[in-house]
Amino acid sequence: MTGPDSILVSTCPGCHGRFLPRPGPCPRCGSTVVRPQPIPSVGEVLAATELTVPPAGWPEPHRLALVELSHGVRVLCLVAGDLPPIASRVRVVRDGERYLASLEPS
Amino acid sequence: MPVRVVADAVGRFGRRGEGLLQLLAEAAELATEQTGRKTIDLLIVGHMSGGSLDESENVTAQLADRLGLEQASGFRVEAASATGAAAFHAAAHAVAGGGFDRALVVAGEKMTNRPTADVARALARSLAPQEQAVGATMPGLAALIAQRVAAADPAAPTAWAQVTVQARKGASENPSAQFREAITVAEVEASRPIALPLRLLHCSAVSDGAAAVVVERGTGPAEVLGMGEGFDSLMLSDRAELTTFRATRLAARRAYEMAHLTRKSLDFAELHDAFAPFAPIDLEDLGLCGPGEGAGWFLDGSTSREGRFPVNPSGGLLGRGHPVGASGLAQIAEVSRQLRGEAGSRSLPGPPRVGVAQSIGGLASHNFVTILGSGGPP
Repeated sequence: MTGPDSILVSTCPGCHGRFLPRPGPCPRCGSTVVRPQPIPSVGEVLAATELTVPPAGWPEPHRLALVELSHGVRVLCLVAGDLPPIASRVRVVRDGERYLASLEPS
Repeated sequence: MPVRVVADAVGRFGRRGEGLLQLLAEAAELATEQTGRKTIDLLIVGHMSGGSLDESENVTAQLADRLGLEQASGFRVEAASATGAAAFHAAAHAVAGGGFDRALVVAGEKMTNRPTADVARALARSLAPQEQAVGATMPGLAALIAQRVAAADPAAPTAWAQVTVQARKGASENPSAQFREAITVAEVEASRPIALPLRLLHCSAVSDGAAAVVVERGTGPAEVLGMGEGFDSLMLSDRAELTTFRATRLAARRAYEMAHLTRKSLDFAELHDAFAPFAPIDLEDLGLCGPGEGAGWFLDGSTSREGRFPVNPSGGLLGRGHPVGASGLAQIAEVSRQLRGEAGSRSLPGPPRVGVAQSIGGLASHNFVTILGSGGPP
């Protein structure tokens, strides 16, 4: 249903909000009816940082990025590779319960 | 609300040899002594981590036993890093409701017995599961917020350093504080990176400590005027705005409504500065200044002890240390002490008539605002 160019989000027919799939109702309007929808997997970095003290059990370097995809969907990602600058374009892939972001070639 | 704080105590914060129960008991004894050991019929204990940091369980009954309060009722209250404020709210509501005459609120945490990476992981459990899945930490998410703030206001990082400098200045007058030595802006900006743009001295420290207050029905100094709390989306990525905390705005609105006051009545604040960039956001979220104006208040001296709106005369979390369960109650203890005119060398000029304590739980997913008055007209 999704390839490397898209990522699955939930869309709410009630408020038309889009958000990452999660248990429970729409976080915006509380509707319990939500539908899966693929959106493009390339987005823009809002902020990114490297943690010098990762939580126990996480390897270094440990880099996080907050990425904005289309339709205002935001996702907190583990960064694969170099720390992406603010406003750079990254590709987001889902890996089990987590999301990974990597810089797109410019 | 005819409820007031009649005694307050904050034990020494920092690296302590004692365990959690001893820290709680020490603060409790200091507070109850101030009342002449009047009968306590409600014990509220604030403690965030359960057994995950300190291996303490059933702390309310353990403390009741230790203090000889077996005749009282009691509960433990938890709201992440706002636990101390939540415990106070629970006690004040219970006493105001008439079911109890006098409540002892005790809140504390034991943290320094664990490696920092373990503490980071334990605190990160208050984040959303999806955030924990990428190894997010409190400083990590705070750094992302700070970057958005700095993107909108290039002067903000200088203000953050000033937040820490001012906190240390306040802490130098506070015998309970962990960090009592003055520092400079240059030292803050040269400290080692934690999660850029956050550096070590922008971050409050892992700490052990406890605070306690006694609450009883009545009016007068340190009277509770308003209390409010509020939630925000657990996930940072769900929030429409990243440089303001909805949970504080909700809490403030509810507290102002209960107090029948506006921000204009406030004379000073104890703000939750777990990370220095939060302090200007807190000022804005309380409505004390407009969006984006908080940094300027720290840069122009408005928030200093002699300024037009003193912030964190106690030293704040940055100066006092941040035993996560204790901080919210230590803030309220400071506001109470200032309003009763018992703050000694750090007494604010004025004297102040209305003070506010603002606490952040988790990554601002459950925040609290508490307004106390001096008993005179606001």
